[in-house]
Amino acid sequence: MPENIKEIIQEVLQAICPIVVIIILLQLIVTKSPASLFWQFIAGAILVTAGLFLFLTGVRISLLPIGEMVGSEMVGKGSLYFLLVAAFIFGFAITVAEPDVRVLAHQVDFASGGAIGTNLLIIAVAIGVGFFVSLAILRILMGIPIKYLLAGGYILVMLLSFKTPDAFVAISFDAGGVTTGPMAVPFILALGVGATSVLGGKSEVSETFGLIGLASIGPVIGVMLLGVFYG
Amino acid sequence: MSLNFILEGFAHILLEVLMAVLPIMFLFLFFIIYFKLPKEMLLNLFKGIILAFAGLVLFLQGVNIGFIPVAGEMGSVLGAMPNRWILIPIGFILGFVATLAEPAVRILCSQVEKSSSGYIKGFIVMYTLCLAVGLFIALGMTRIVYGIPFYYLIIPGYLLAIILMFLSKPSFTAIAFDSGGVATGPMTVTFIMAMAIGAADVIEGRDSVADGFGLIALVALAPIIMIMLLGFFYPDGDEEPIKDSVKSDTDLQEDNNEDEEELAPGAILQDNNYIDDDILENHNEGEVDSDENQS
Repeated sequence: MPENIKEIIQEVLQAICPIVVIIILLQLIVTKSPASLFWQFIAGAILVTAGLFLFLTGVRISLLPIGEMVGSEMVGKGSLYFLLVAAFIFGFAITVAEPDVRVLAHQVDFASGGAIGTNLLIIAVAIGVGFFVSLAILRILMGIPIKYLLAGGYILVMLLSFKTPDAFVAISFDAGGVTTGPMAVPFILALGVGATSVLGGKSEVSETFGLIGLASIGPVIGVMLLGVFYG
Repeated sequence: MSLNFILEGFAHILLEVLMAVLPIMFLFLFFIIYFKLPKEMLLNLFKGIILAFAGLVLFLQGVNIGFIPVAGEMGSVLGAMPNRWILIPIGFILGFVATLAEPAVRILCSQVEKSSSGYIKGFIVMYTLCLAVGLFIALGMTRIVYGIPFYYLIIPGYLLAIILMFLSKPSFTAIAFDSGGVATGPMTVTFIMAMAIGAADVIEGRDSVADGFGLIALVALAPIIMIMLLGFFYPDGDEEPIKDSVKSDTDLQEDNNEDEEELAPGAILQDNNYIDDDILENHNEGEVDSDENQS
């Protein structure tokens, strides 16, 4: 068995065992759950273990290296205009496709009493993400320190939160967390690693990361703006 | 007892993950063809996508049939107890272990260690994340148990984050905001939400919908603050990758860096040849496993 696979099995066990043991203990001692619920949990734990193993194997062995390579090619060959448009489309597409975004859209539909339809919200959030992913790429290429963009974004969020109707504030902050699902994260990280490896330069780490963080601000602002106009 | 519950809602999850995977796959297909990358990469991409897709479907199904019902029950049993403050320490422990099991957290931590050439240790970032999520879920549970308004936690929290941004090291700031998005993954969010809603349902004067909201925002804020604090205290070192340091297995970044300065387009291609070999090697190693999966 290849070394990689062994490492991944070890990692999966380290990841899953603690939560399974804790939940079993809580079930036995505190909640005293019925047996059917207990066996249902065991079945779920087996699926989760197998799933995490397959996911990590696929990501580590092929998706990360490919993502890194595409990232370095993009910077090496693409023009600035091409990169920004590609980044916008990428951000837009992963958001529209993200299942959690649809859940959020229903919550907002509910909180606004139907004034903000699901499609309007999904598009607003997707534009927000697309815009911030482009901005993040521009930042990497121009070498703008990430703290200025983050500080600017979050100060805007703070100011907007006073204008936004109460029902929307909690949902807007939640919106930041839902756009970057587990499928999109490895790709975004790998693209960043690949892109900065070609750019070289000052602090690698501060350039490589931050894409996901910036992408999370877009939806917060998007939902708040909708709240201000429609709420 | 019938085993039908294992397949409950399976088609729905299959469709959801498929929706999430398609745009990413098409985009990468487009880039591979546009940049005229070797054909082997296409095959490799499909293998990786199929494995990751199958894995995520199984993972989400497992969370849905096994973890969510247990979490909901736990929330309502604990919330109904006379000493319901017990939700707070249990929230901490569950937040901690749920973050350990979060798929994207693992990927983030290994990428951090790799791109900092080992300066920032992956396991330190991971346990900081676990601690952060645990603490903030405990805070979220406190909010539900004692009815503290959402504003009082989130506004000072983000103000603190903005201040820390200017005090912490730039690399940690970038990682911190990324981990905010990463920590809010399928295990933590669904599990903790189910528990919080279960608890808010049985506690008088709590609206399960409104109190459920905002908990994700706290989970997203937790790593931002804690990773920047970590950066504040992390021993100073050379933040730049030390060239010619220990070469890790699939470390293409270092190799790209070495011939980095004044790079001609031809040189990039040479580097890529190296990467291709690397991918092919890995791909052969992965063979055994992907066959298992398809059978």
